[in-house]
Formats: sequence, C-alpha cells, structure tokens
Amino acid sequence: MKKVLYSFLMLVFFSGCATNPNGTKMKASDEQTKLEVYNRAMFNFNYQLDKKVLKPVAKGYKAITTQDIRNRVTSFFNNLEEPANAINNLLQGEVSATGTSIARFAINSTLGLLGTFDVASGWGFAEKSNSFDATMAKYCIPDGPFVVMPVIGPSTPRYLVGWGADSFASPMYWALLDKDDETWAISVIYGATALKYINKRAENLALLDSLEEGSVDFYATVKSAFLQNRQKFKSLCHHKAENNGQTTSYDFDFDDMEEE
Amino acid sequence: MKKILMYMIAAFLMMLGQAQAIDANKAESFVKSVTKQGIEEIINSNVSRQEKDARFEKLFNEYLDLDYIGRFVLGRYYKTATPAQRKEFIDVYRAFNIKTWSQRFDEFKGKSFVFAGTTPSNSEGQLFVNTTVNMGEGEPAKVVWRVKDNGHSMKIVDIIIENVSLAITARNEYTAYIKKSPNGLNDLIADLRAKAAK
Repeated sequence: MKKVLYSFLMLVFFSGCATNPNGTKMKASDEQTKLEVYNRAMFNFNYQLDKKVLKPVAKGYKAITTQDIRNRVTSFFNNLEEPANAINNLLQGEVSATGTSIARFAINSTLGLLGTFDVASGWGFAEKSNSFDATMAKYCIPDGPFVVMPVIGPSTPRYLVGWGADSFASPMYWALLDKDDETWAISVIYGATALKYINKRAENLALLDSLEEGSVDFYATVKSAFLQNRQKFKSLCHHKAENNGQTTSYDFDFDDMEEE
Repeated sequence: MKKILMYMIAAFLMMLGQAQAIDANKAESFVKSVTKQGIEEIINSNVSRQEKDARFEKLFNEYLDLDYIGRFVLGRYYKTATPAQRKEFIDVYRAFNIKTWSQRFDEFKGKSFVFAGTTPSNSEGQLFVNTTVNMGEGEPAKVVWRVKDNGHSMKIVDIIIENVSLAITARNEYTAYIKKSPNGLNDLIADLRAKAAK
C-alpha cells in the first residue's frame, strides 16, 4: 500500500511540474505534446488489453449470468462504497446526505442481504454518491492534466488520489487490516475486485461498442467525454463558481469557431 | 387607471420576453413531444427495422438542426473549408449520425424521460431542457436537451448526457482527427462516409 501511495505522490508532483506556469509557452506545449504521445500509446495498450482479456472474459461472464445476477453484483459493490459516500458527504458539510449514506449502509448490509438488494431506496433513502475527488474539488484543489494510466485508464492526478483515498474507506480494505489471515484476505480482495470490473465491463459491452463504432478517433472521444463529465466538479469550488458567468459547463457559444 | 397601467406593463414585459428569450414552457413541451414520438412511434412500435430507420431519419431531420451543429463541430477548420467541402461534410455527418443513432436509440426501450425544468443559456434564443432517465440500477442518468428557437420553429442543437455534450465531443474528436490526418478534412469526410455506408 505504501508503494501505491508513493506513486500517487510522485504523480501529483510530476503533474505539478508539467503544468508549471513559469515555463515558456513553447515549452508548455512541448510537454503537452509529450504527454499526448504517451497518453495515446498507453490508451492503445489498454485497448489491446481490454480486447484480448477483459472483453472476452466479460462476454463469457455475461453469457453465464442473468441480468438479475448482474444487478445483484452491481448492488453489492455499490453498497461497499457507502462508507466512502458518508465520509465525503460529511467532509463536504452535507449532513443530511451523510445520514442517508449511513442509513443505506446499515439497511442494505443487513436487510438487503450484504447489499445485494437496495432495500433502502424503496424506503426513501435514495443514493447520495460522493467521492474524495469531489471533496478535493470542493476545497478547490486543481484537477491536473489528463493522464491515461496503465490498466486503470483515463484519469487525472486528482481523480487518482481520490480513488486511492476512497478505497481506504471500503470494507474490502478493512478486511485487509485483519492481520491474522492476510493471504486469505488478499485473495478475497483480488477476486472481488476482478468480479467488480468484469461485471462493470459486461454491463457496458453494448455501450462501449457503439461508442467505438461511432467514432473516428476513439482516444479523442474518450478523453473529451471523460474531461467533460468532470466539469460537474467545477461548480463545487465556490469562489471559482462565482467568478464564472456560465450557467452550466456545457453552455458554450456555437459561434465560437476558434477553440478546439 | 392603475389597472390600465398594470396591463401596459404586463404587455410590455410580454413583448420584451418575446424579443429576447425563448419560451421555457414551449421548449419543454417541444422536447416532450419529440421524445414521445421517438418512444411511441419508433422504439415501442412493432414495425420492421427498415421502417424504424426511415421514421428515425424523418424525426432526426425534422427536429435536429444539423447544419448548425455541423458547422460548430468542425471548429476552426470550418473557416478554411471550401463551400463544396462544407456541404459534403454536413451531408456525410448527417448520414453518419442517423446511422449510429437509430441503432443506439433502441437502448432507451422501456425507459421514460422525467422532465425536470429548464436552465437558461447565455446564447440568445436558446435554453436547456433538463430530463432524467431511470436506468434500472443506481442513480438515474441526466440527459439535457439544448433547444434553439429559430423564430418559426424549435430545433434541438445539442444533447448532453451526464454533463457530456455530444457537440463538444464531436468537435474535440474531429479537430483532433483533422490535425493528425495527412489530407485533413477530406480524410475525415471519406472516413465518415465509409462508416455511414457500413
């Protein structure tokens, strides 16, 4: 775990260098090009990995499971995220959402049979998902550049730090703390993590295929969609939101023909 | 006297409203009717695939302002394109979109849009109609429709799914493609044409 944390820190440090505003404009664009070249190469690597490993496995998994089973699996992993939701809602001062997340975790872990059923939603406790990524955005910590990570895929430094921090709040990580039987815990965690991503991929088979078919530069499409989706965090940082006259992140000017 | 003054103010306000703003209620009912038509007459109807595609094409051409969107997605390359290239691009862009979306459209089978009011736009005569779609598990997806009032009719000029604008995504993709390709825009046109014909 220490090693993972170290590489996160390295990444943040590295990205800090890459966007150093003191550099000349020429140098900055040089670095941007370098990052773009790396990103495209890593994107292709991940794409091949997906094509040769994850996608076939997900297809096989989809063939032997029903939609209902996959829904239960999705529900189970969503439930494991509730402690992180609760902590981040609290860190963002959303007291009632914090209560909702705690109630959901308590109800769904027990009556919802280890979270496989979302009983709480039916009782009026709709999911209030949140993340440390959003918490950092709320405290106006910048996002950093778009980076494609091996296996993990599209990310930004803040996204990665948030992802790492949230995993400490997962009951799966708590299981690791049980030092008496570490090997057992680790294999369970690896197995569960694999299931989580295979299940996720199986649910996205059609969507990702159609997205790829409908694009002439898949990397550019994924990058654009990933970064646009993250614009939702921008309004969380208050002093920045006030300066911005835009009503929504996607309210661009159709007559602006200069930007790319 | 007071009453007359009130009427005059009200009439003035209404004129003002008409002159610069798009009617939020009208825009919302416009999107309602488009999605209703799409779901009832295309997705849920018991007709052949060909008939579905034909109906989708009609719906698409009638309610989407593709000339306006196509101009935007080329970004700065639109300015340097010849009139012939512009026309060619818009034509293949239209064919390509009809092709990919009429297939993707079926994913909304059995789902319905919940309307959640409107949000103003900084662009004159445009606004955003907010909807959500229940996707089964997890939180509902947020789908926003950008509507433009052309004076005599309304058109959809962008669809934003979970904060991702289709127009911006297309622009980012196409400008990146043109930049990389040896023959620029002509390559893009050829590639889109091949994909639309597949």
